[in-house]
Amino acid sequence: MSSRLDPQPGEQLDRSRALWFTWNGKPITGFAGDTIASALAANDIRILGRSMKYHRPRALMTADYWDPNARLQVGDEPNVRAAHRMLEAGMRVKAQNAWPSVEHDIKAANGLVSRFLGPGFYYKTFKNQSLWPAYERVLSTFAPGGTVNLESERGYYDKRYAHPDVVVAGGGPAGMSAALAAALDGASVMLVEHEYHLGGHLRWGDEADRHAAAELAVACHSHPNVEVLVNSTVTGRYEDNWVAINQRSHQLADERLIKARAKILVVAAGLIERPYVFDGNDRPGVMLSGGVRRLINLWAVKPGERAVVFTANAQGDAVLTDLERAGVEIAGFVDARAGVTVSSAHGSGKSLRSVTLSDGSRFDADLLVTATGWTAPTSLLNMAGDRPVYHPAGARFVPGGRVPDTVLATGGMIGDGTLDELVAHGRATGSLAAARADIIGARLQKATPRAVPLFSSIGELPPDERTPLPAPGHLELFRSDTHGIVDYSEDVSSKDLVAAAAEGYDSVELLKRYTTATMGPEQGKLETVNTVAVLAEALDSTIAEVGTTVWRPPFAPVSLGALGGRLFEPTRVSALQPWHEAREATPINAGQWIRPEHYGDPEAEVRHVRSAVGIMDVTPLGKFDLRGRHVPELLNLLYTNAWSKLEIGRVRYGVMCAEDGVVMDDGVTGRLADDHYLMTTTTSGAGSVGEWAENWLQTAHPDWDVVVTPVTSAYTSINVAGPRSRDLLARLTPMDLAPEAFPYMNVRVGTVARVANCVVWRIGFTGELSYEVHVPAGYGPHVWEALLEAGKTEPGGIRPFGLEAQRIMRLEKGHFIVGQDTDGLTKMPTTGLGSLVRLHKEDMAGKPELAWSMAAAATGKGPRLVALQPSIPTLVPDEACQIVRSGTNEIIGRVTSSRFSPTLERSICLGQVEASEAVPGAELTVVLTDGSRTGIKVMAEHAHYDPEGARLRV
Amino acid sequence: MSEIDPPIPVGNGSENGSTNGGGPPMPPLQSRPARTPPAFASPIVDVSTAPPDGSGVMLGDLSHLTKVLVRVTATSGTPLGPFFGSSEVRGDALVCGTRPQEWTVIGDNPSVADVLEQADGYFVDITHARALVEVAGPEAARTLEKVCSVDWSDRMTPDGAVLSASVAKVTCDVIRRDRNGSAVYFLMTDRSYGQYLFDALADATTEFVTG
Repeated sequence: MSSRLDPQPGEQLDRSRALWFTWNGKPITGFAGDTIASALAANDIRILGRSMKYHRPRALMTADYWDPNARLQVGDEPNVRAAHRMLEAGMRVKAQNAWPSVEHDIKAANGLVSRFLGPGFYYKTFKNQSLWPAYERVLSTFAPGGTVNLESERGYYDKRYAHPDVVVAGGGPAGMSAALAAALDGASVMLVEHEYHLGGHLRWGDEADRHAAAELAVACHSHPNVEVLVNSTVTGRYEDNWVAINQRSHQLADERLIKARAKILVVAAGLIERPYVFDGNDRPGVMLSGGVRRLINLWAVKPGERAVVFTANAQGDAVLTDLERAGVEIAGFVDARAGVTVSSAHGSGKSLRSVTLSDGSRFDADLLVTATGWTAPTSLLNMAGDRPVYHPAGARFVPGGRVPDTVLATGGMIGDGTLDELVAHGRATGSLAAARADIIGARLQKATPRAVPLFSSIGELPPDERTPLPAPGHLELFRSDTHGIVDYSEDVSSKDLVAAAAEGYDSVELLKRYTTATMGPEQGKLETVNTVAVLAEALDSTIAEVGTTVWRPPFAPVSLGALGGRLFEPTRVSALQPWHEAREATPINAGQWIRPEHYGDPEAEVRHVRSAVGIMDVTPLGKFDLRGRHVPELLNLLYTNAWSKLEIGRVRYGVMCAEDGVVMDDGVTGRLADDHYLMTTTTSGAGSVGEWAENWLQTAHPDWDVVVTPVTSAYTSINVAGPRSRDLLARLTPMDLAPEAFPYMNVRVGTVARVANCVVWRIGFTGELSYEVHVPAGYGPHVWEALLEAGKTEPGGIRPFGLEAQRIMRLEKGHFIVGQDTDGLTKMPTTGLGSLVRLHKEDMAGKPELAWSMAAAATGKGPRLVALQPSIPTLVPDEACQIVRSGTNEIIGRVTSSRFSPTLERSICLGQVEASEAVPGAELTVVLTDGSRTGIKVMAEHAHYDPEGARLRV
Repeated sequence: MSEIDPPIPVGNGSENGSTNGGGPPMPPLQSRPARTPPAFASPIVDVSTAPPDGSGVMLGDLSHLTKVLVRVTATSGTPLGPFFGSSEVRGDALVCGTRPQEWTVIGDNPSVADVLEQADGYFVDITHARALVEVAGPEAARTLEKVCSVDWSDRMTPDGAVLSASVAKVTCDVIRRDRNGSAVYFLMTDRSYGQYLFDALADATTEFVTG
């Protein structure tokens, strides 16, 4: 470690813990507390990567999160910010964007043709859209960044919601003071710091600075009202102070996205040092003063041997002391305040050798330190509605003061000041934030039924009476008399910006998009003001007139993993799911429900139900408990048919239509008692039917005495189907199941397998003698097992059947499924159930449209749902295959359902065809998915099997 | 007009309400079957255990408890008591104002029956329709923060509060009833989501489980 200094007073290294890692495959060591970049620098490794377009060698510049030259590959993770990420033992660190090595990069030849790679290169060159795939293949080989290993282990990303009174963005002296003052006044505070430690610029300052930082940090960490989040970034502020925080320091998760609803947001983002634009300003060895101070003071790394310091401010002055302590020879001290600037930096490709000043003098040096000004990162204020204004005397944009009362700013971002002044302003801000948060909290409590306000009279927010910080003062220094790099990440030079301005891009927003300046990973933190300044100069205008770009979220890039967070994908299962899983039933997702599709052989399941008895878990069937005197009125409103005379114990089928007359759901409803009904819906339609009923009750008929309660999951629903179903069920229930006592389309409530209050319907979807047994769900497994046990001794035995067998049987029987055999335009006449529309009713949902569609259907218009028989009995057309008029390409319909029937030993279909073709015996043509065609015949009945219904009425 | 479906034994309990957050604390809802035989199959299996030292957060399955909705309309029934958004203890049962004109009574059969005996409205037994999960312990609120966007602070969701919320993208009724000075939350959701909800909560507790 040749560049490692002796222990420095403020260093954050643990020298007792050496960490082994590799750089481009070569093993080296650093210390705990090093960043990856500081450890590399301590090992005299200076060239960390290559620039994006021209592949110019790049080295450390800011030595912090924003360093544009230190993005490295670490293991499987690309684009790691190596000047920020702490070193860990065993890291495999590699350079990116260079081949064959970072020292000798063949693509550096791009620099030779840089004059052809100016702004708008892609727009101007690759115009032929048809060749884009070819362009993409070539250009992708030049793409910057690391490599993604698709085989690498998936990370764990977390999410959290929070409702702190105050979020403070920035853990410098003002931010810490604000957080502490707010906490002392009783507010709950989240203090969010970008770096790994609180303290801001005090951390690399003198002893007094470090002492103050430590004192404030300890107070913040130890206060119970302050939650300190280090290595975390407030990435965005949205409506009503919805604040996004990217926490990279979670103990379990790779990253966590915190969605905080802050009553007050305090922005204390500090200042970011700005580079100076001159020829050679991206050459290795040119560093910002903050970067040099951090390297020496935090990580005890000697940044060079012989330095030129170019300064216009106190930090630049202070760096002299640090350099001297580090043993760096000072070759030259250039005070910009005296009117001298740097013109150019010279050297070999990989290091600095000399610096030329504007007065023509030249110094030999391997390190040039620049301290030429600051940028106030006002992004979060911009997101709250502020537009920063240029302050020439301070050479930076400052907040414009147009933020809501719930957003406050403090610290260096809004003004200069001594440490005491910054702390005092921070404290005042924290107290104001706490006072305002208290009022806002009380307002929220008053508006929330479950909460009890602390005080009944809620006044106005307290006014802002803070003593302002002194206005910033700084020399305007943006570009020298030469051209240099403005955007290091995007390789955009001041010459590029001038050229773009000459092409007419005189708006900074357009210029930004055309040249991509400010659009790299730093998101303008280093380069925005220089971009504006260069444009203003090119336009012979002023920075104030040009204005700045609008800073939008995110403040700093966020990983896609953090944005995705924890995945919440709710699934629903019946009480029988453990049984299904134990029998290795093949599952199928039906919406959120997980259901057994089959138990190995669906066709055998069909044959068994047709010949003996089977049971199926139909729990997902939508169910609603209806109570009250006006239930018949509600049913008359929702269904197209009549419900006023449904007797107790009877069941009726109904179809619901929306207000546009389109079929929305169907099902049966049974009357259990005088004012008590049970309604069933389709599985997928249960949610919308519930909302539909509540909508009518709450908006049109709040006077009705009806309560609707969804009870889908209250019952384990079991379909007992097959010619032996009555005999089987009779062995488990005292109910009289004789056909005359319990006929088709009736319902009874009774005991099954010793479980009381089971609702038993005699209905069926399969076309067989069938019962639906709805068992209080907690006892469902017991009844299911009891049925299986009893069924063992039934002639032919018993077996469970799944969704696929049911689908086959319902298609054999010709029952349509809403949403499969109907679509968003299907009205009642299409379904063949026009007889269920009772237009004489006083009112019902969709009545005008139903009347119109019935009248239109009478004239032979509209499609019809028909059963279809392919001419090749073994051929099953895919669902959705188009039906065309024979001998033409004219589409006249489509297949909506198709299966091979094990009962009939031929293919069976339902489909919608135009009314003129929906004639029994009509020969049509279906176009198969491979483009071939075959004949298909319209059948006389929907039912392919037992059209008379004899089997289910036995 | 009152009816109970299925029937619940009705005792002679008297009305013994407490105010929101005050009065007698919520008694522990003991784990015992709602009805036997046969055994009640909970919607939640593979229940995780709590940290042995009582730190962190504990999840419990209380789905077996009797749960009855009491609903009134504009023309039928009498409001049962606590306002929408609040709850109170009556006898050994918990009465929750879960929605306007709707209350959920939770407890064992006799205690729920005691409450219903004094009530007037439409009763719908939702014992089998809902999963009921208890989230307790010092980190209970921080666990819920990971799966729900509600403000769980004492100011906004005090002891006794009742609300409806999306928890891990599932609609739940949530009731806060503190026990021994520590926040306890009861999450009630559609039975079919029970296992999913429990698993999502168990995953959220990972960082707080120290045992």
